[in-house]
Amino acid sequence: MTEATKQFFATLPARAPHVLRGPVTGTLRIDLSDGHRTEHWVLRMRPGAIEVGQGPAEADSIWYCGVDLFDRLVTGRAQALAALFRNESTFTGNVVLFLAFRRFFPPAPGTQDPRKVAREQVRQAR
Amino acid sequence: MTELVSILDGNTFLVSDRRGDIEPSLDFPTGLFAFDTRFLSTWLLLLDGERLQPLSIDDAESYRTRYFLVPGEPSHFLDTKVSIIRSRAIGDSFDEELTVLNHSGKEMTFTVRLEIAADFADLFEIKDTQSKHGDHAITIENGALRLTYRREAFHRETVVRSSAPAAVDKMGMTFSIRIGPHGEWTTRLEISTVIYGARGEDVRNRLPMAGSRSTAAIQAEHAKLVANAPKLGCDCEPLADAYRRSLEDLAALRYESIALGVRLMAAGLPWFMTLFGRDSIITSLQVLPFLPEIIPPTLKMLAGLQGHRIDDFRDEEPGKILHELRYGETAGFEEQPHSPYYGAADATPLFVILLDEYERWTGDSQLVKQLEYPVRAALTWIDTYGDLLGTGYLWYRTRNSRNGLENQCWKDSWDAICYSDGQLPGFPRATCEMQGYAYDAKLRGARLARLFWNDPQYADQLEREAAELKERFNRDFWLPDKEYYALALDGDGTPVDALSSNMGHLLWSGIVDESRAARVAEHLLGPRLFSGWGVRTLADNQGRYNPIGYHVGTVWPFDNSIIAWGLWKYGFRQEAGQICESMLGASRYFGGRLPEAFAGYERDLTEFPVQYPTACSPQAWSAGTPLLLLRVMLGLEPKGEHLIIDPYVPPGMGRLELLDIPGRWGRVDALGRSRRDDDG
Repeated sequence: MTEATKQFFATLPARAPHVLRGPVTGTLRIDLSDGHRTEHWVLRMRPGAIEVGQGPAEADSIWYCGVDLFDRLVTGRAQALAALFRNESTFTGNVVLFLAFRRFFPPAPGTQDPRKVAREQVRQAR
Repeated sequence: MTELVSILDGNTFLVSDRRGDIEPSLDFPTGLFAFDTRFLSTWLLLLDGERLQPLSIDDAESYRTRYFLVPGEPSHFLDTKVSIIRSRAIGDSFDEELTVLNHSGKEMTFTVRLEIAADFADLFEIKDTQSKHGDHAITIENGALRLTYRREAFHRETVVRSSAPAAVDKMGMTFSIRIGPHGEWTTRLEISTVIYGARGEDVRNRLPMAGSRSTAAIQAEHAKLVANAPKLGCDCEPLADAYRRSLEDLAALRYESIALGVRLMAAGLPWFMTLFGRDSIITSLQVLPFLPEIIPPTLKMLAGLQGHRIDDFRDEEPGKILHELRYGETAGFEEQPHSPYYGAADATPLFVILLDEYERWTGDSQLVKQLEYPVRAALTWIDTYGDLLGTGYLWYRTRNSRNGLENQCWKDSWDAICYSDGQLPGFPRATCEMQGYAYDAKLRGARLARLFWNDPQYADQLEREAAELKERFNRDFWLPDKEYYALALDGDGTPVDALSSNMGHLLWSGIVDESRAARVAEHLLGPRLFSGWGVRTLADNQGRYNPIGYHVGTVWPFDNSIIAWGLWKYGFRQEAGQICESMLGASRYFGGRLPEAFAGYERDLTEFPVQYPTACSPQAWSAGTPLLLLRVMLGLEPKGEHLIIDPYVPPGMGRLELLDIPGRWGRVDALGRSRRDDDG
């Protein structure tokens, strides 16, 4: 597990009140693999809250993901749905949980507020 | 042999020529497609080395086609000693039954050959399939032909099996057959498409509804949808035909979402067999009085995929509703931004509007409560990221310079937004109808906040903002010398002064000042915009007008249905009726199936509506059009626990009755009748 991934999981409970606002309840397990060993992260979600645990627990859905890809996701350098569509990561179970969880992922490094960019460009054009 | 026949079931569809053959095409998506991948690009039938000719085609049902074929080129003398019936259906797999009939009194031998290939093109790359990044492989196992494509972990397969023994090679299958006098020979070909996902299983095996969708199941599902819809009785035959055709097409366009395991509505065959935010919401609004059960999955799916971060490649921002979702290779490998793509500035307010309209009809307050936060996020987006310049309007400008959409309103082709003289404005742009949607979304959001979220303060705030927006809009968009609303504002805030159909949507939203509504209606039904078959997207005296220009002169049935709704809202019943009459008149020429768009030629000039060359058909929001027109003619409007019925049936249409209209009132009937001329 990378340092970024470790920090990401550590901050989830504090971020949940702002991020998990939709009608989502259930357990998502993320199986993080580096090709040799697999870590199981268990995320029990409900509106406004998330509990983070570890171990091969029962879950409503399971997301299989490589350690490297997950590091890119938690640092905004990859996008979760595209990774599923190219089968770089895979998923079984209730996808609503996955869609809710992806909201924890940040934007790409260096992303600017589009309003700031647009207003600057309009000013320059005048 | 360019005329094409299509069959579909949700987002699996097949497009072939009139003898049932598929040949690779570089400009039109021919082939067997599922989830945006072409699983068959060649499927040619030869009898003794010769191509066949069609005698007739039976394609009465969307998921099934039957071809009656004979050998020989059209110029040859017809050889009647043998004929072939090719019967196919799309369901869980693509199945084709080939029957060869010997019409002679003696035993005959034939060589039946099927040429088979799969290029696994993404729908976005059929014009250029040479540059694929992955590897193709062909294997033959136990009499089956297996065609495989792999790119890293992306893995798709087509497997072709035959019930009769075949000599299989890498290019196809050959059958050497002998048929007795007046006898026949049959084989059943099964073509399976495989999309590998978790643990090497087909991802669709994980979907609750997949796996056992036989042709019979599809038939039952379609029949159920039609049976649940209100029954129409009327004197007007084109209306009855259009209604029946629409319900069938809407049933066929439903597809199973990989993500939710629910049925959603695809936008249109063949280019748009996927979820679009705008199209699915508009279609939902059109069909709500008839098929309310299809709305909740659409709303939930759009909420689940709501934007959550800033992503320049996908034009995504927090709270924004998606534009287009694709599952194919180019989406996965981020060569196209559709995972999902958020390049639409109107889908977000439309999402709020749909939820409110849905509750008004059904009384489903539970869904309104469930979706409180997605709807609040959508309303917040309107005033934050949506208001790109901070001037109180919705603006758009793509941040994806490679393959983002320049225009992010429903008229999304590159030249759709133009000044009257034909010049193109700079970016960002704020089109007028989007401001109408924002106004309506605020008022509807206020109603939801007050009645269901226990937040009267927020409701007051939204209503205040809506009133301010209406005032601002009527000041900045109205062109006093031309007496109509500008199509848009450009980045400087200068009105983009083209005369266009967009104004009609403003009537629907209610943002038009009462004092100006009559003038707007006159323009819409005036000779510059109204062709006789409908309202043109752009008036015929504008610089860029072209009767076969995608958004600069064609007539769009869905656009007209929203305009008719708007005219009715402002009390212009006769004008709304005129649009209903012209649309239904046009539908007669398309066998009851209104296409995506048709040409904007004057009715007097062509005497029939000319189809736009590459229009999609069936198209969901065109199929929804006759349904919304029915609502307009019968004047159906929910009020509290009741349905108000206030019909205005255009002259000559006679009797109109719609039985068992579902809603919070249970089921009610609506009746209307044309006023006779002597009634005044």
